[in-house]
Amino acid sequence: MDIFLQQLVNGLTIGSMFALIALGYTMVYGVMKLINFAHGDLVAGSAFVGLFVFSELLGGQISFAVVLGVFALTIILISLLGFTVERLAYRPLRNAPRLSAVVSALGASMVIQNGIMLIWGPQMRIFPELIPTIIWDIGGVVVSLIQVLIMVLSMLLMVGLYFFVEKTKIGTAIRASAIDQDAARLMGINVNNIIVTIFIIGSSLGAVGGLFIGLYYRGITFNMGWQYGLYAFVAAIMGGIGNIPGAMLGGILLGLFNAFIAGYISSTWSDAFTFILLIVILIVRPTGILGERVAEKV
Amino acid sequence: MMKKIQHIGYPLFFIVMALLPAFLDSRWLAVATTFVIFTIVALSQDIVLGKAGMFNMGQALFFGLGAYTTAICNSVLHIPLLYTLPLAIIIPAVFGILLAGPIIHLRGDYLLVVTIGFNIVFVQAVQNNLGGITGGPNGIFGLEMLEFPGFSAFQEYTPYFTALLALLVTLVVLRNLETSKVGRALHYLREDDLAAGSVGINTRIYKIFSFSLGAGIAGMAGTIYANQYSAVSPEAFDFIQSVLFFSIVIVGGSSVPGILLGVFVMFVLPEIFREFATWRYFIFGFAMIFTMILRPRGIWPAQFGRIPKAFIHRGE
Repeated sequence: MDIFLQQLVNGLTIGSMFALIALGYTMVYGVMKLINFAHGDLVAGSAFVGLFVFSELLGGQISFAVVLGVFALTIILISLLGFTVERLAYRPLRNAPRLSAVVSALGASMVIQNGIMLIWGPQMRIFPELIPTIIWDIGGVVVSLIQVLIMVLSMLLMVGLYFFVEKTKIGTAIRASAIDQDAARLMGINVNNIIVTIFIIGSSLGAVGGLFIGLYYRGITFNMGWQYGLYAFVAAIMGGIGNIPGAMLGGILLGLFNAFIAGYISSTWSDAFTFILLIVILIVRPTGILGERVAEKV
Repeated sequence: MMKKIQHIGYPLFFIVMALLPAFLDSRWLAVATTFVIFTIVALSQDIVLGKAGMFNMGQALFFGLGAYTTAICNSVLHIPLLYTLPLAIIIPAVFGILLAGPIIHLRGDYLLVVTIGFNIVFVQAVQNNLGGITGGPNGIFGLEMLEFPGFSAFQEYTPYFTALLALLVTLVVLRNLETSKVGRALHYLREDDLAAGSVGINTRIYKIFSFSLGAGIAGMAGTIYANQYSAVSPEAFDFIQSVLFFSIVIVGGSSVPGILLGVFVMFVLPEIFREFATWRYFIFGFAMIFTMILRPRGIWPAQFGRIPKAFIHRGE
């Protein structure tokens, strides 16, 4: 039972991070029908930018204001990067064949990933201990302050995003563009601006996710983006791609699944089990858990 | 134009390739062998991705499956390398059918993620030493060399010429495919699989067939790869490798000259400009983006049949 509760806590923590990252994939896919392969690398980049902002720009002394500053500056820099990627790699291919856009996305991913390597080197870097390590032992289950922060903040961000998309005018425009870009354009929605908006929102959430990865795991490598990106994308598909609550649910479920695999079976098999789960879900319910059963667009 | 290139270009290419070892030292011979092997894999990827239009990003799985079949047969069962070749073609081909069967109906991007998934499951299974015969993270080494009776004096050159022979076989298969009923079916399938289905093409069967054929050819390349290094290891078949093959086919335009160029740029140029090794993927990434922006259909787009240009749909 202890293992169960412990892995539940760990799973919810990892799941929150997956969910944050998955939102970036699902929103872009919803509107553009494109897997934004560069998103995972933006997440990895965020951890490195956070490290850089903390130690080079803000002097490396930990205080509440500095931590806030690290988050704010990193989010701004990563959304700028996301914006640039959209402009350079995706916008010129808006009307190109589908596969060309996929390859361009892969190219963008390679550029960012190797850009990180060229700037910060191929070796593992240690993310600073921005949040003090406070650990509570609740009846044998260990919970740390970082875990609580990750879960609470992710939850707040996701609830915020949900209301933004459901209740505001821009949110309505995002949903409209996801359903039918041409019809949205006829209704006076500037779809290009909407795409820029979702890239900025997605990158910001990914940036927070990347900082959380740095805070939680501490060791960061230039090529970790593919790993987290793939997991987050799997989470987005599991929840039903293009569906925002689906990505949150998918992320949490995948986090729990991973934690239980690691707790009860072995962490060396977790990738294999994750993808087997994905394959099973796609065979049984191709539109994901929360995805609507719509006729496939040809 | 295309016909002319085929009639003059291919024999010329093979004559140059056959004479090449005379001018190369052992390091460059190894590079040339790798070039030929990866070309075969990229061509096998082209059957699935370019010809049938299925977003397969797990071709390294079948390449690896072939290599591991050979390695296991040789190291555990002590079968001479040459006789493992049929198995290394059949086992990946069968796996191609088994894996593609349940997922073949998935739409583009879903298929892409699932095939990445297959690739990752394969690599992880091999790394965890499944069944105690895959050698774990280090792989299997110390394999025997490929031996053809009567050619033992040219041991040094066997991997290269076997690879070249396999490339020739692959090109013949591709050519026959293009001019056959299957090739036409695959072409219509890629253009529009709903329309293809409605004119009586059994899309499911043809899709699975192309998967299996691609897997078999990649498996054959795997045997030669295992032979070249006398070893196999999991990271050579990582899904990043699949991503590269995927990109080569699309950037090249899914035509033979385009793919040759793609493999050359991706695997041979880095050997020539070794001082830029760390910049390699950074530059390739930009190259991929700009090629796609400037030539969305690839550097050397494939032509199909004798359809007049005006009838070819230029969109997706």
